[in-house]
Amino acid sequence: MSTKIAILSFAHTHAAAYARILSARDDVEVVAADPDGDEAPDTGPRGAALARELKVAYLDTYDDVFAWGPDAVIVTAENARHRALVERAASAGAHILCEKPLATSLEDAKAMRAAVDAAGVGLMMAYPVRFASSFTDARDRIRAGHLGQVLGIRGTNNGKVPLADRAWFTDRELAGGGALVDHVVHCADLIDELLGEPAESVRAVANSILHSGRGIDVETGGLVTVRYPGGVVATIDCSWSYPDAAATWGGLTLQVVGTNGTITIAPFAQHLGGYDGSGAVYSPVGDDLDAAMIDAFLESIGRGLPMAPDGTVGYRTFQIVDAARRSVLSGQPAAVH
Amino acid sequence: MPRFAAESEGAALRVGLVGAGGISHVHVAGWQALGADISVFSKAGADALAEQHGLTVVSTFEELVDLVDVVDIVTPTATHRELALTAIAAGRHVVCEKPLAATSAEAKEIARAARAAGVQVYPAHVVRYFPEYVALKRAITTGVIGEPAVLRFTRAGEAPRAGSWFFDETAGGGIVLDQMIHDLDQARWLAGEVVQVYAVQNPPTREGTVPAVVTAQIVLTHLSGAVSHVQGYWGPSGLTFRTSVDVAGSAGTVGYESPDDGSIRMDMPAATSADDYLPPRTHAESPYTLELREFAAAFAGGPVPRIDLEDGILAIALAEAAVASIASGAAVDFNADVVLADLQEVVA
Repeated sequence: MSTKIAILSFAHTHAAAYARILSARDDVEVVAADPDGDEAPDTGPRGAALARELKVAYLDTYDDVFAWGPDAVIVTAENARHRALVERAASAGAHILCEKPLATSLEDAKAMRAAVDAAGVGLMMAYPVRFASSFTDARDRIRAGHLGQVLGIRGTNNGKVPLADRAWFTDRELAGGGALVDHVVHCADLIDELLGEPAESVRAVANSILHSGRGIDVETGGLVTVRYPGGVVATIDCSWSYPDAAATWGGLTLQVVGTNGTITIAPFAQHLGGYDGSGAVYSPVGDDLDAAMIDAFLESIGRGLPMAPDGTVGYRTFQIVDAARRSVLSGQPAAVH
Repeated sequence: MPRFAAESEGAALRVGLVGAGGISHVHVAGWQALGADISVFSKAGADALAEQHGLTVVSTFEELVDLVDVVDIVTPTATHRELALTAIAAGRHVVCEKPLAATSAEAKEIARAARAAGVQVYPAHVVRYFPEYVALKRAITTGVIGEPAVLRFTRAGEAPRAGSWFFDETAGGGIVLDQMIHDLDQARWLAGEVVQVYAVQNPPTREGTVPAVVTAQIVLTHLSGAVSHVQGYWGPSGLTFRTSVDVAGSAGTVGYESPDDGSIRMDMPAATSADDYLPPRTHAESPYTLELREFAAAFAGGPVPRIDLEDGILAIALAEAAVASIASGAAVDFNADVVLADLQEVVA
C-alpha cells in the first residue's frame, strides 16, 4: 500500500529536492500545493509550473490537499508559516516532516509540539546531515570512547545567500532572521545528537557585511558560541559567506576536539573537482542525504516507529537560535530556555 | 648610544641569545643566515645549543649584554620583563619571543623603557611572516575579498611538556597567552582593532594551572563590525601541528589550512618528540629568518617592521581580556586606546 504524501509549499528550496526524490519512488503517491507561490517576489518558478517540472501532481489549495487525505506531509513553507501548516496537518492526523528551523518563535514552536502530541502524529525535523555516513561514523567512534572526553566543537555551515530565487530567506518576518536562523540549526542538531544534553547558554555576534549593498536587512554573518552543562564549548559559523560565483552552494563541517585528539567531518566535501570554460567545477559525489532522510521518515510511518530527529530536537535546536538572537541584541551570553 | 652593526662597517651583527629552549634553534638558524655572530647565555642547554650551531657561550647575562649589539630573548615568558629591561638599560636593541611579557602592564614597562632609552624592541610574532598569512593580508589590503566580515583561525598541536611553565597562567603561560596569541595578533592585523572579547575554555583553569589537554575558543568583535573566531587546542602527545585561517569578505573568501601546503607531507608519529613542534620548512627562507632580517634592517636604520611594540602589548591585552571572559563568563569590552593610554602619556 502506498503512502499518500503532500508537499506543502515550494517556498523552501529543499522542496524541489524532496519532490524529485518522492516522485522517483513507487511506494508513495505525491501531491503538492503552493498557494503562496504566486505572490512571492521570487524569480524562480513556483506553483503548478514547478510541480510540472518536478513531475508531481499539483493541487491549488491546502483545502484540496487535506480533502485528498494525506498520510503524511512535508512542510516546506516559509519558516513563519510552519506553525499553521503543522497544526493543520496534526489535526488531520497526518505525520509531518518539517523543514528547518521548526519555527520563528518559541511560542510557535511550543504550540506545534503540543499540537503534534495531542494528535498523536509523528513530527520529524528535516536535518539530513544527520544521515551522512561521515557523521554517523564520527558519532559511533565518539560514543565508543575513541576521542576520549569531548572538550570542544567547531561547526561551520556556510553557503550562498538565498536571494533571487527565494527572497523570503532574507525577510525578517517570514524567515525569523537571517543567517543565524538559517544556518545554526544543522550543526546544533549534530551537536545535540553527539552530546545528548540540552545547551545551557548561547553567546552570538552577527553582522551584515557579507553581500552588503544588495538590500538585505537581516544578518548575513554570525558566530554562535554555545556552552553545554557538561563543559563542552562549541562555536558555529553560520555565515552566508559563499560568493555567488562559488562553484558549489556551500558546505558544512564539524570538528570535535577531545582529550585524545580531533575528528573533523565535512559531509559535502566528497566531489569531483576541475575546471570548465567558466571556472571551477564542483561535482558532488556524496550520498543523497535528503533521500536517506525521506527514507527514514517513510520507514517510521510504515513501521510505526518513533521519528528521529524528532520535534523535540527541532525544539531544542530552535531554542539555541532564539537565545542567539537575544544574545546578539544584548552582546552578552543568553540563557537557553 | 645604541650600537649598530651598520656603524662598524663590515663587522658582523653581534647577537646575544638568552635562552636555549625549543624555539632557540630557529632563531639561531635565522641569525646565522643573516651572518650574525651569536653568543648565548642560558640557565640550561647553552652548551648543547652552542655545540650544535657553533656559538659562543657566556656565563652571565650581564656579560652577554656587554658583548653584543642585539639581545634576543627566547626564555620562558615570565622572565622577559627583567631581561628586556636589563638589555634596554644597557642600550641594546631587543628581539623578544612572543608574548612580549607575562602581562600587558609588564609589556608597557618594556615599551616605556625602550622609548626612554631610544632603543628598538620587537616582539617576535612570527605568523606575520608566514607566506600564507602574508598573502592573506595582501588579499585584504588589495580589496580582493572586499571588506572582511567573518574570520576563523585554528591552531592545534600537542601540549607542551607536562609540568612546564607553559601551564602556569600566573607565570606567562596558558593556552590563550602562549598559543592563541598568534591568532589574536593575526585577527587584529587582518581585521583591525577589537571592541569586544568573549571566550570559553574547557576544561577550565584551576588555581592558575591550565589542564594538560585543553581547548579554548575566542570570539572577537572588531571596530569595523567584523567578527573573528579563534580556536586553540593543546592536544595529546603526537598530535599533528595544524593551523588554519579562513576570511570571508563582502566580495569573496580566502583561506588556508596547513596540511594543504602539499609541498611536504610527514606521517611519522613514532618520531615525534616534545621539542619537535615547529612546522616543516616549505620556503627557502624560513619565516623566522625573514622576521629577524626585517628586525635587523630596522636596527640598522631601515624600514619599520610590520610588528611593533604596541602590537605586542595589544596582543597580550587581548589574551588578558579573553582570560577574564573565560573566568567571568561574560563578554568583555576592549579598547586599544585605553590599553595604550598610559604608554602615550609617558612618551609625551
